[in-house]
Order: sequence, then C-alpha cells, then structure tokens
Amino acid sequence: MGGEEKKKYINRLKSFLPLRTKIDETYKKSIEAIQMGRPVAWAMINAWYGDPILRAMELETVYPENFGAICAAEGVAESYLNRADADGFPSHLCGYARNCFGYVSRMTKELKGEIPPEAPVGGMPKPIFLLSSNIGCDARYKWFQALGRYLDVPVWVLDMPIPGVKEFFRDGVYERCIQFIVEELKEFVHFLERTLGVKMDWDRLEKTVHDIEEMNRVWFEINELRKAIPCPMHSRDFWSAMPPSLFLAGKPAETLILYKKMWKEVKERVDHKVSSIQTEERFRLLFSELPPWHSLSVFENMAERGWNFVIESWSYHPPPPLDLSGISDPLEHIARFSFHFHTAYFKDALEEGEYYGYMGYPLLKFAREYRCDGAFFHLPLTCRSTSTHQLYLQEKMKQKLKIPSMIVSGDIVDLRLFNPAEVIKRMEIFEESMESYRKLREERF
Amino acid sequence: MPEGSRGVTRAKDLYRDRFRRAKELKGEGRKILGYICLHAPLEMMTALQIIPFRMLGDIYETPTQVDRFLPRAFCPFVRSVFDLSLKGKYDFLDGMLLVHSCDAMERTGRIWESVVDHHYFHFMDLPTKVCGRHQKFFREGLDDFKKTLEELTGKELSFEELKKAIESHNEQRSMVRSLYEITEKVPPKISGSEILQVIGAITSIPVEEGNNLLREVLAEIRKRKSGNLKGPRILVWGSVLDHPAFVEMIEDLGAHVVIDDLCTGTRGYWADVKLDGDLLSSLAYYYLVELRCPRTFKEVPSDGKRKDYSADLEERFSYLREFTKTWKVDGAILQSVKYCDCHGFEVPQVKDYFNSFGIPSLLLEHNYMIADREVLKTRVEAFLEMLRGGVE
Repeated sequence: MGGEEKKKYINRLKSFLPLRTKIDETYKKSIEAIQMGRPVAWAMINAWYGDPILRAMELETVYPENFGAICAAEGVAESYLNRADADGFPSHLCGYARNCFGYVSRMTKELKGEIPPEAPVGGMPKPIFLLSSNIGCDARYKWFQALGRYLDVPVWVLDMPIPGVKEFFRDGVYERCIQFIVEELKEFVHFLERTLGVKMDWDRLEKTVHDIEEMNRVWFEINELRKAIPCPMHSRDFWSAMPPSLFLAGKPAETLILYKKMWKEVKERVDHKVSSIQTEERFRLLFSELPPWHSLSVFENMAERGWNFVIESWSYHPPPPLDLSGISDPLEHIARFSFHFHTAYFKDALEEGEYYGYMGYPLLKFAREYRCDGAFFHLPLTCRSTSTHQLYLQEKMKQKLKIPSMIVSGDIVDLRLFNPAEVIKRMEIFEESMESYRKLREERF
Repeated sequence: MPEGSRGVTRAKDLYRDRFRRAKELKGEGRKILGYICLHAPLEMMTALQIIPFRMLGDIYETPTQVDRFLPRAFCPFVRSVFDLSLKGKYDFLDGMLLVHSCDAMERTGRIWESVVDHHYFHFMDLPTKVCGRHQKFFREGLDDFKKTLEELTGKELSFEELKKAIESHNEQRSMVRSLYEITEKVPPKISGSEILQVIGAITSIPVEEGNNLLREVLAEIRKRKSGNLKGPRILVWGSVLDHPAFVEMIEDLGAHVVIDDLCTGTRGYWADVKLDGDLLSSLAYYYLVELRCPRTFKEVPSDGKRKDYSADLEERFSYLREFTKTWKVDGAILQSVKYCDCHGFEVPQVKDYFNSFGIPSLLLEHNYMIADREVLKTRVEAFLEMLRGGVE
C-alpha cells in the first residue's frame, strides 16, 4: 500500500550527515543573530581568503551561492528566477545570482525587508555588508555590486592575483602576490573593525587559521583514500560533506572532529574493500563541476549500473597540504594557503605543457590518479566559470589519457535545462565507450 | 586598397582589409603582437618598435574550429576571435598579449596558450579594484611584461622611447576625441559607423601611421557640409562592437549615433597617460583606473554602514550624464553580446541611471553575428519612433 521506497544503490557514509547539517545550522545561526540584534554578512565562497577573518570576528555569515543550490534542490528557485528576469537581469547570468536577485527583490520590495516565508532553510536575513572576491568568476563581484539596487549595504571585494602558469614562475612573482594578498587582508580587517565596532582578536584568528588548515588537511586525506578500488566514498557524500571546508559551515574546531570521524569510516571501508555503491564497481568516474542540485537522484540510476563517482572537480577540493610551520603571521598563513589553492598544480601543469593550471589541468591529474574510466561533464548554461574548460578537457582526456567523457547540458538552478532521462538514455552507449577505451589504455600504458 | 585613397575612404579600406598593412610591415621585418582588450599597454610595445595589433572577430564568419574547445553558450566575440586564430588568420602575428580583463578572456587565454603555437605569449593579470595598492601591483606586473618584451626584441626599453611612445598614443587619443567633437554638432558631419571604422583601422597599424590617417580624416570631415537630416540622437553603450553593422542599422533607420561608451569607441581614447614621474606608474594608472569597463570594480567609498545606490551610480556613471548633455542625446541603446557577465550585470544599473534623469533606453542582447541585426531592427525601429514622438 502506498509507494514502496525505491532501492538505494549509493552506499552513503554515516559520517556525512553531521557535516551536512552544518549548512542548516549556518542559516539558523544567522536568523538567531539577527533576532538578537547581531549583524550578519553575506559572502561569496572565497577559497579561505576572507572566511577565516569573518570567523575570527565571530560574524555569522551566509552564502548566497549555497542558498541558490538549496533553492534549486527544494524547487523554489523558479519564482526567484522569474522575478529576476522581470527586474531586467539577462537570463544568461549566473543562476545563483538571479535566484538571489529574485529573493532580495521580493524581500525588499514586497516584504519590507522580512525574510520570504517560502524561503528554504529559514532564508537569508538582511546583511550588514557583502563580501565578494574575484575568485572563481566576474559574477562574484558584479552580482553583489548589482544588489545595490535592493540593499543599501556596502560591498567589499577581496582581490586575488591569478597569474599565468608560466608567469607564476618568473622571479619575484610569488612573493609579490603574497605581499599583495596580506595587504588586502589588513585592509579588510580594518574595514570590519570599523563596520562592527570591535577589534580583531589576533589570538582567535591564529587558532581559527590553524583549525582551518588542519581541517582541510584531514579532508584532503579523506579524498586521497578515494583512490582505493573500490572507491569507498561517492561524490554525493563529497558534496554533502564539503560545505564545512568550502565555506566554513560550522566551527572549524568542531568540523575538524567530524572530518576525523569521516576519515576513520572511509579508512575502514578501504581496509574492508567496502564500495560506495551497492553494485559491482564497473566504472570509475570523475564528475566535472557543479552537480544538478535539483536532480541528484539520477546518480542512483547510474550507481545501479555500477557507475561509481570517485572524484570531482578541483574547485571544491582543498589544496594539497602546505607546510607553513615557519610562519607566525596568521594573515600570511591565509595568504599562502589561499594562493596555494589556485597555484598548487602549476608546476605539474607547466611540466606537461598545460597552461590551464587551475580548473583545467587538475582534472587531468585527478582522472589519472583516481584511475577513472570516464568523465561526466555537466555543462551548466548559466555558469561560464565551470563550463569554459569542459570541451577542451574532453579532448585532452581522450588524447592524453584515453579516457572518454560525456557532456550533458543543464544548469545549476534552472531545473528545466537538465534532463535526467537524457542521461539515462545515453548511459549504455557511454558504457561501451568506456569499455573500449579501457582496453586501449590496457594496451597502451 | 585603391591607390591614392585618403581620409575616410582610406580608413574604411584599411578597416575592411585590416590584415593587409600589418602583413606588409611584417614582410619588412617588423614585429607584431596581437591583443584583444583595451587594457593592453600599447605604448610599451610601440616603444620597442613592436606594432600592437588589435585582434577582432568576424561577424560574417561562422565559428567552427572553436567548437572543439569552447561551449556555444559563451561570449560569441571571444569565440569568433579564437576561431579565426585556430583557422590561421592570425598566423602573421609574432605572438599575443592576453590581459585578464574578464572571465571569457582569461579562461580562453589558458586554452589558447595550450593549443596555438605562439612564439611569444604573455598572460597579464589585471586587478579588479583601482586603489593605490592595486595600481602598484599592476605596475609591478607591467615591469614583468617589459622584461618579456626586452627578451623578445633583444633591446632595452628606455625611458626616452617610452615617453615618445606615450606622446604618440596620447596624440592619437586627442585626435579621436576631436572626431567626437564633430559629432556634437546637429546634425553631425561624421556618422557613428564611420568613427568605428576609423578606430578599427588605426588599431591595425603603427601609431604614427594611425595619427597621419587621423589628420587626413579630421581635415576632410571639417570641410564637409552639414547635412540637414534631423533624427533622434543616440548614445550606444555596451560590450564590444567591432563591426559597424549594428550602428549602421540604427543610422539606416534615420537616427544619428553621436556618441558611444564602447571599448571599440570612446573608452580607449577619453583620457591621456600622464607624462610626469614614473612612466610605468602612469601607464598602470591609465590602464587600470582611467579605462572605463564594467570588469573593473569601482564603488563610492562608504562609511561602512550604508550604501547610497544613487550616489554609487553617480560615481560610476556620471560621464554618461555628461555625454548625454554635451551630445544632446535623445535616447540610449544598451547593447551587449549574450553571455557577457560584466555588461549583463551592469545593464539594469545603467538603465536605472539613465532613468534617473529622464533618458529613455532600450536594452538589446545579441549573439554578435550579422544575422542578429535583422532581428533587432524591429525593436530599434519602435524605440526610434517613440523617441521621434518626443523629439518632433
């Protein structure tokens, strides 16, 4: 009687859930802060550039990009997108941004600044300022600048140098970039002190930075374990567990403990050869860029056929650990770590004659190291940042690594643009391609 | 190019066959470096006798080769330029300078460097903000660029040569501004589409040749008799228009495009590089602060508590109000290629700004190629009719 629950083929970790709930806590804490008369900030994901400062200043922060993903997953984004269109924003702009414009437009024009009742996870309260950066894409600062139509709050932009791969190795470039980032951070601290009326607690910052580095080290090690065959942790668990690292959802000292628990669970799976899918691991796949948040159930269809998603794009992973033990200044720690996120693979990229040193080259490295049979490229229409390199990488993977890929168009927010049925239809043919290239690799390498 | 052609005719001929003169000079042993965006410091190349050549797309050529590397939902201008490069059209260049002006340029540049064999390729990062520290950082980047140019040419970039180059380029900027002074007149004696072709021509030849051409053009235009065609006076704002077809479409409907805010129009010519003090610092200031492009983040300093939207718009766009007043603009056409984030996010704010002082505006998004012109025509026609109702 009633619908039987569909069988699940992805073997989820137990340890992902407490990490996943940190996102909800983030929104809950922001609402509580406002209710207690404390300020809240909105921030772009900033590769551990501004976030450590915000945490050390104990400023509750929410991330509109993440909110966009949640709105998409919960099925409420469409009304916000329509509203953004009606307000004159071109429909090709970042789906997360348009979702935010629609949300804020409703909040300020209709509800006098109150959170819309339909907003998921309690919504985002009005911020005291907006923290953006040029990391990732132009939209990251243009979006917050455009919010000036609705919100009378200042925008602070953290500028990150992004040298070319060759140029990075020219004399003096690295140290010059670090100095620049440190100065950016100093100015940001002064801005926060003025805006919040409190002084930075430098001891707290030092501890926060240490916890973030340690947390990311453990998270990096967890993902290293996924190189095992069969892979012990599916991409679905990765995406659920990434927010505490990616945008510091939760306190770093607490999430460090949770990541250590996850490491233990994943290590146990490796030791006992437990796979992250219930079926035989027939194919190991890399998933490129943002998943279709509104249609994640398609991964169950793929797991049913033995497709195990073992690694994701560079953008969401912490960089390899960096030895910063000789450095005492926490701002310099932040500068070196955040810059390292962008440049960690430049040396390898240059050696291979690849100039797409971040976003692009790391995918080749991951596909090789995680022994992937194929790659799934999700090409989101409204996110040029994550779609630009995909065709190029498709060609490179085939040429250099003999790994085939499939490209599926979709979007990060607009669920009308992604068709799970299309994916399912193409799976069988792609399996033939993966089998065929596997034989080729066995012969060649 | 017809022998003996001069002035506007010669400019149009040069524009139509932009590669020809560059290839002749290459044959004479000159080095030519390609660049795409306005933020390329041309003076540094000129000072070392390198010819800076602005790489444009082709609205008539369907991109094909580029489909291997770039998605279709992507800046169509960058796709077009890259496509031409993949087809070998830019093989005469000795190399490229790619400036981090926007995502499309930066990301494509990474792929470009990986797949096209360049003797010289330099990626120049460009800060997002404009304050003193960012100018200093950019200046240091210009120093790196200088070293690569010296390595390429085997020559040292001297202060004197750089000063001379800046003076030449400033002279060019001044003469282009003089062209726009002519369009202040009612009706103007030179059309917006002619100006775009003149600028397209001068960005394909050495600065001294460009300055000679501009002298001819100015002398010719000043002698022209004024027409008596009255029509709505239009400001065109937006992303790159590297072919006059869009502006011609507006002018064919009886309007005058009297001023623009385009990177292929006024944006590259509205200020001069200062000649006092450290010249690299002056170049850093000009190319980061003076150039107006939505890719650069400029915001009115706030007291940290509250942002005043109107004051922010005034800080960022007051020059548009000046343009409107000085050129007696009746309406603005805000055009942008699809998938341009920098202009796309900017558009509603620019529209708000024009609304704040009563200038009607029309937003047009297009996919860069010639076929789009016909589709847009109907909307432009309706807009001009609406303006005529107010003008006559």
